[in-house]
Amino acid sequence: MFRIQRRVQALLAVAALGAAGMFLGGEGWLGIDFGPVGAAVLYAALWVFVVHLAKYGGEVFPEEWSPAEKQAWVALVFVALIGFHMLNLLAALPELGTEADRLRNSATRPLWTNFGLLIFGWIVVASILRKQDGGNVGLDERDLRIAHRASRFADGAMVLLIIWLVVTLVALPEYSRTWLRPLIAANVLISLLIARALADNIYTVLRYRRERG
Amino acid sequence: MNAFAVRNRIRELRQQRATMTQADLARSCGVTRQTIIALEAEKYSPSLELAFKLARALERNLEDVFQYQENK
Repeated sequence: MFRIQRRVQALLAVAALGAAGMFLGGEGWLGIDFGPVGAAVLYAALWVFVVHLAKYGGEVFPEEWSPAEKQAWVALVFVALIGFHMLNLLAALPELGTEADRLRNSATRPLWTNFGLLIFGWIVVASILRKQDGGNVGLDERDLRIAHRASRFADGAMVLLIIWLVVTLVALPEYSRTWLRPLIAANVLISLLIARALADNIYTVLRYRRERG
Repeated sequence: MNAFAVRNRIRELRQQRATMTQADLARSCGVTRQTIIALEAEKYSPSLELAFKLARALERNLEDVFQYQENK
């Protein structure tokens, strides 16, 4: 069991390296563009993880994790990856000028494929986990209480983010606001929803960890 | 203001019943085994309904299983 978990930890470390290459390597490091290599490493590592999960089932996660905690960890990883993609998009859109007004432009085109792959991967992993925990209690009063607290925390975080965004926009000088086109504003709002989901999942996994002592 | 805490003897009472595992207790109360672990570690205070289910599964009165104590 511990051998499988160590292998999965190594796999997640490789995936994190791939993600770092994918999200930070676009500009090129030492003249090498690590973006495509990072993406390939990330998706390969996620694929091997799915295979491990299907093959070794309950051995992949620590035994003391409840079904809801496993789902929260999986959600955290996938929401974080989706969030990184959105941040990348938000960084790229202002550079495009009027092209940013088109729904399909050079920055959003690869994004749809990546979002599709990530959401498909998330659905597959979540359904494998649900199937493996099928015979047991999946969600009890402690899980519901943690979910409720996480939701309240995430709502609070979103309110703070909205206030920060409003203050930032109001404080920005006129010339700096020219990049704020309708589709960029729409993506900023979607990013807020992703940030809320991220805050929800971070609170959830930390709470489970704390309650294990 | 004094701080109060709900203490419990779930682990002790469960271990007195040699054959009862955390999984057995979890199954009979309709919760996950991880919730029993959190309860035994006193990291989680159960609802009144779950407290009654636990007491019934351990064949004890509620006050044998749970105590409401002032933290020293």
